[in-house]
Formats: sequence, C-alpha cells, structure tokens
Amino acid sequence: MRGHGFLLANYVPGDSLVHRAPLALKFLLVFACGLASFVTVDWRMSLAMLGALCGLFLLTGAGPKRLWGAVRPLAAVLLVIGLFQWWQLGAPTAGRIVLNILVCVVAASLLTATTPVHKLLDGVVRAAGPFRRLGADPERFALTIGIMLRSIPYIAGTFADVRDSARARGLERNPRALVLPVFITSVAFARQTGEALAARGLGEADDEDED
Amino acid sequence: MPNVTFDQAAVTVPVDHLPEPKVLLDGVNLQLTERRVGVIGANGSGKSTFLRLVNGLVQPSSGRVLVDGADTVRSVRAVRRTVGFVFTDPLSQLVMPTGREDVELSLRRSVKNGAERRRQAENALDRLGLLHLADQSIYELSGGERQLMALAAVLAVEPAVLVLDEPSTLLDLRNRELLRRTLAGLDQQIIMSTHDLDMALDMDRVLVIDQGKVVFDGAAAPAVAAYRALCLASLDAQEAQP
Repeated sequence: MRGHGFLLANYVPGDSLVHRAPLALKFLLVFACGLASFVTVDWRMSLAMLGALCGLFLLTGAGPKRLWGAVRPLAAVLLVIGLFQWWQLGAPTAGRIVLNILVCVVAASLLTATTPVHKLLDGVVRAAGPFRRLGADPERFALTIGIMLRSIPYIAGTFADVRDSARARGLERNPRALVLPVFITSVAFARQTGEALAARGLGEADDEDED
Repeated sequence: MPNVTFDQAAVTVPVDHLPEPKVLLDGVNLQLTERRVGVIGANGSGKSTFLRLVNGLVQPSSGRVLVDGADTVRSVRAVRRTVGFVFTDPLSQLVMPTGREDVELSLRRSVKNGAERRRQAENALDRLGLLHLADQSIYELSGGERQLMALAAVLAVEPAVLVLDEPSTLLDLRNRELLRRTLAGLDQQIIMSTHDLDMALDMDRVLVIDQGKVVFDGAAAPAVAAYRALCLASLDAQEAQP
C-alpha cells in the first residue's frame, strides 16, 4: 500500500520565525489567503502573493523539494483548469485562478510544515471550544482533522495501487476498473478506521457513568 | 491477572437467503485467567468474532462476556479502558500521520496537559525502541515497525488486557520474531489469535476454534496437534468427496 502524493507538506522541525509564530496567526494567514483568492482580481497581485508565500516557506528551512512536493500532485488538475479558463475567459483570468489556488495550497502547507499535528489539534480544540455550549465535543473536531490529514495519502496510495493493477490487466482505459475499487477500498478503510477508533475508545463523548 | 469470562456467549447474524441466522460463535462458556492465551483455527472459524467480544467491538447475541466483572455491553467504555486491541493491519489502526501523533492521540482523553502527554508518548515509544521513528510518516515505516507502532499506541494507555487479532499475518520472518520477543516482555494479559504455530506454542493456554465452536482448550502443544489433525481430517474429507 502506497501512501504518497500528500497535498500538504508534513511537519518539518525548525526554529524559524514562522515556526515560532503563534498558531492563531498562522491560522489567520491561511484564512486571509483563502479570502484573498476570492477578492483578488489582478493576476499580478496573485503572483506577488504566491511569491511572498513561497519565500516565507523557503525561509522556514522546509526546502524547495517539500514545496514542490506540496504542489506537484495538483499540477495536472491546475493545467486542465488553466486551459479551460483560458479558453473560456482568457489568459489573465486563467492565470489568476490557477495562482489563487496555488496561494491557498502554499499557505496551508506553510501551516502544516511549521506546526506539529498535536499543536494543530490543540488549536482546533481551543477554536472549537465555544461549540461545547451547543453540545459539540471539541475533541471530535480535532479527531476529524487528524483523520482527514491521515486519510488523503491513503486514498491517493489506493488510487496508485488500483491504477497499477488495472494496467497489469490491460484495463487502464476502463473507468469502472479504476473508480469502483478505489471507492470500495475507501469505504472499507473508513469502516476499519471507525472500528479502530471504537476499539481505542476514541471519538466517544466524554466519559459518563455507565450501567 | 484479569479474568475474562465468556458466559454462554453466542454470536449470530441474519442472512438474507437463509431461514435461520448464521452462527459465528456458538455458546462459548469459559474463563481466561492465564497470562498468555492463544486462539487458533482456520480462516472464518470465528477467531476474530471471539476476540472482538472481549473488547465489546462485537456484542453477543445471547449470553454475556465479562472483563473483571464488567459487562462488555453495559460497561463498554470501562471495558475498553481495560482491554487494548491490536488489529491485523496496522494501517487501519494508526489514524494519525506519524507514530508520535498517534500515541499522543491515545493519551488525549486521559492526559490533558500537552507537555505531559508528549513525555508519556515518548516513554511509550521508547519502551518498544521506536523513539527514533516517532516523527516518520507511518507510510515510510516497514510492516514490522508499523505493527509495533500500533502496539505502542495501544500500550500507551496501559491496558490490563491486550487482544491481538493475527498481528503477525502481514509480517516477514524477522519482524514476526521481533513482535514475538516484544510480546514476551509485556506484563499485560495477552489474548491473541494467530496462524503462526510457533507463536501459538509460546502461549500458556490455547483454544482451537472450528466453525464457531471451541473444539479444544488446553496446553499449547496438544492444542497445536489437535489443530493440525483437524486440518488434515478436513482436507482428507474434501479429497474423498466425488
């Protein structure tokens, strides 16, 4: 089972300014980049933002290889989106859309590359704290994020395995031979993950008296 | 040692095209108090159902299962604090991107302080010699390292009973031996199903399960002999059919 092709960069230990920045500030940066991708109308502005974020990423010491690793899985999709938008709306708009997507990915990678997952989860628990009054369990929010981060490479790896086995059987052009096994494996994985969580007593509401 | 009691525990499941439900486990009645208990049997014989009953992952259709007096249905949370469960495939068990994060996840409910949680997670990893792999992606670990990482995540909360469902099935010989040695050094009561008869021979007591029934219950060597005889008889019967 392969588990590569992860969209966001894994945590890289370090002592850079970004590593030491408060988690709330990094969350805010990701949020602001997401927001900016909606309001930016000039591709040159998007390019400048992307350049600044890439510079910041490299300053953390995570390295250009990890930066490329974070955006590479998106390359084919971005190419298709870019060509379609170019055909429909012209080059400046296509450029802006593609650059804005990259801005969001690099901003999110900056967060995950400089923040250990346990701190990320603690931050999610704190941020979700007010929902406790509405009956929600903040730990479940954190668990959901953690499982999401863990499941993306699994499903990407499943897709790579299924594609190889379809190729071996000469079925690489058959969409059913690709989609169905990935779907079935993903559902089985979700069931197994649920069972593993239950076995470890994770994801349950805060302990209450039983019997 | 903890006391795991099966009191006429049976598991049945309805099957669409059959008038009667299918019996996965048939009225098991026994007490497990030994330090090392092995469960052997053919694929589909009911071993996994038997083990899942101990942790409350499967509920008995009739009868009951008790762990130190706690019912696995009515006191399932208390039971799961006492009983750790290790699955065959560690990839479905490790739910965080790295081993350290997964062990910390196990501790999140019981240890609220982040620094203390980190310290306890490092201790848990160090006990199994895994600290140097703590920050590696679980996908970069070998099968044996993953299985030990899953074991560390379960042991971090110090369960009294450790249930393992064919933990060595996906491992090569070296990693199998590593797991075997690691298990031998644990203080917990171990209840483990396995197809590795060498591992079964390490056990203090071995149950042989066949078609949902415990057909042999005793010392390891005679249990393994009984299982071999059962397999050979089954093959002979199949070959004798026209």
